[in-house]
Amino acid sequence: MSSIDRRDFLKLGLAATATAAVGVGMSRIPLPMAAVGAGLKSAPAGDTEPEIIRADEAAALPRADHDQPSPHHWAMVIDQGKCVGCDLCLAACHAYNDTPPNISWSRVEEVAPTADGRRVFRPTPCMHCEDAPCVEICPVGATYHRYDGLVMMDYDRCIGCRYCQLSCPYGVRHFNWEAFTGPNPDVPAAGHPEVPRRPRGVVEKCSFCVQRIDRGLAAGLTPGRDPDATPACVVACVYGARTFGDLNDPESMVSIALRQRPDAYRLREELGTGPRVYYLPATPTEVSES
Amino acid sequence: MTQITAIKAFVRNTVLPALRQPVIRFMLGLSVLMAIGVAAALVVFIEGLHVTNLTDLVPWGLWISIDLSSIALAAGAFSISAIAYILRRKELIPVAKTAVYVGFVCYSIAMMMLLLDIGRPDRFWHGFVFWNIHSPLWEVTMCVGLYFTVLLMEVAPIIGHWEPVEQRFPRLSHRLGSLHALTPYLAVIGLCLSTLHQSSLGLTYGNLIARPIWSRPIPMALAFYISAIVGGIALVTCISLLAPHLTPRARINKAALDKLAYTVGWAVLFLLVVRWWDLMSMPVDYEPAKSEALYILTRGRLAFNFWGLEILLGMVVPAVLLLVGSFRRNERARILALAFVALGVVVYRWNTNLVGQLVVFGQVPGSDVPLFTDYTPSLIEILTATGVIAYGLLAVTFGVRYLNVIDHGEVVEAPAEAPVPAAMIPSSSR
Repeated sequence: MSSIDRRDFLKLGLAATATAAVGVGMSRIPLPMAAVGAGLKSAPAGDTEPEIIRADEAAALPRADHDQPSPHHWAMVIDQGKCVGCDLCLAACHAYNDTPPNISWSRVEEVAPTADGRRVFRPTPCMHCEDAPCVEICPVGATYHRYDGLVMMDYDRCIGCRYCQLSCPYGVRHFNWEAFTGPNPDVPAAGHPEVPRRPRGVVEKCSFCVQRIDRGLAAGLTPGRDPDATPACVVACVYGARTFGDLNDPESMVSIALRQRPDAYRLREELGTGPRVYYLPATPTEVSES
Repeated sequence: MTQITAIKAFVRNTVLPALRQPVIRFMLGLSVLMAIGVAAALVVFIEGLHVTNLTDLVPWGLWISIDLSSIALAAGAFSISAIAYILRRKELIPVAKTAVYVGFVCYSIAMMMLLLDIGRPDRFWHGFVFWNIHSPLWEVTMCVGLYFTVLLMEVAPIIGHWEPVEQRFPRLSHRLGSLHALTPYLAVIGLCLSTLHQSSLGLTYGNLIARPIWSRPIPMALAFYISAIVGGIALVTCISLLAPHLTPRARINKAALDKLAYTVGWAVLFLLVVRWWDLMSMPVDYEPAKSEALYILTRGRLAFNFWGLEILLGMVVPAVLLLVGSFRRNERARILALAFVALGVVVYRWNTNLVGQLVVFGQVPGSDVPLFTDYTPSLIEILTATGVIAYGLLAVTFGVRYLNVIDHGEVVEAPAEAPVPAAMIPSSSR
């Protein structure tokens, strides 16, 4: 049952991502940005037009209330056996989130090769830790847990003290050392980013494309299954190395992946930060294969 | 024509003789440095922080070190006030006045540095409005803000007694002077606030699990607190002892200061023990990033700073100069030793801030290979920092020259009890 789901998803994912990824990668073909952007605005299902939530509005969404259980448990699962280090995910991220050329919300690093000499890569987005050091120590609460547990930035509140950069065990927080003006070379000519640009002097980081999740949920879509409700990097990955979904849903892609691969690991787990990004090793251990 | 001759006469009669005075030249030089600093600061505000050499891997550099150092050296204000008013060492009350003024200058330095350092100086007030009570840095922000207010109230009488204020605004002068009655209460508040934020500054580093070399909450908080008290008292004593050599306006109570210096001698030994326990009692088995950082500190690029400046010059040498009998009689050695103690605390802050950032863990391929980073302040960082420090020196010079902040002659009566210097160590009197 679950394997059929998985295959279905892969087909769907491949079909949807091929267009987006190629377009974003070549960056002069205007298709994907326009298609996604316009798709939601001009093709609503019936009379229920989905409301587009911008990042600054998302910031106004309720902060975490620890008495209330979170309705979702978002997680990203990255299969290192599939990642080839092509950086397409970064290109999509740059384009959708309008990041300056010198800032990349997630990075793809080459790590130690497998025993049989295959190259291995490790994409590193924000881990959206359940017990995030940055949320704990931000003096003004500019970085915070959203109602669903995602670690958000309030760019209007950040004072730019950069303490969170010191606190992050994963080094995924970036400071805007200078103002980013002019056109973004990573945004296709006919496309448009989904979130407003950050001002000089604040720290920014991966948001799990929270604007896409919220917009998708408002439109009745399922993040992780429907490309329009899924983080751009996941949609853009031609190789299906990145998957996204709700761990509260046992049939979500991420739940299935983690069930199938007990050797999944998280980065610097010993620190107790509870990252929401899981990695599947390039070489599956004996346990998972048997 | 008459105006020009008048100006010429003014220059000949007033400006030129003034320029012959070394103090005036000193203050002029500092003013020039300050002006350069202001220009550099404007460049930073207009251009943004990319003119610095700070990076995402080393986001806290020279400015933070100066900020930490000046807050540490300002600790003389609360500690001497506490000794004078809470432990009731009356002979130290005039010294507390000096300490409060120096502390006020140091805190204003710190606030200028912070204003430069944050990415959004226009939002400096956010810390007071948006609270994250879990953050040590928030606690520091609140306490520094509140304590600066306390210092303002403590400094107000000093400003009130400035001659021009006294002559032109006698009523204001009286009002400001009347704040003096609050001083004992302010000493208590200052002690609380300072204890909170001086230790929280250590905790600011100590609670970062991402940086193993810093991740020692209690030792870091303790070491920051104790070193601040030692360095702060040392600086105030040093300035007070030095001032009479430079200007006749400074009058000091030598006996009281010598006792303070002797206390600093013991305190710096205690600091050495704390620092040693804190750093050297770490497990020696390999731990990524921590072992490398320890190597950088003890054998790598910070080794001279650590062994030479911090341990030897900042602790061992002053302890010898302040405690060993034959050196104790030499006043020059005493002043030098106290300056070394203050310098040692500054170097301690610099080392501590840098050591956790020069090696970064988990940012590089494999995640278990630590990455070595680099940081040298840019020219603009150095110019602004020099400007701010020049402001500090200028403010202290101004205070000594015009505000009589070093006038310890007010209380002349010697302490009634037998002068046992060691009894002044605060811990023993409780």
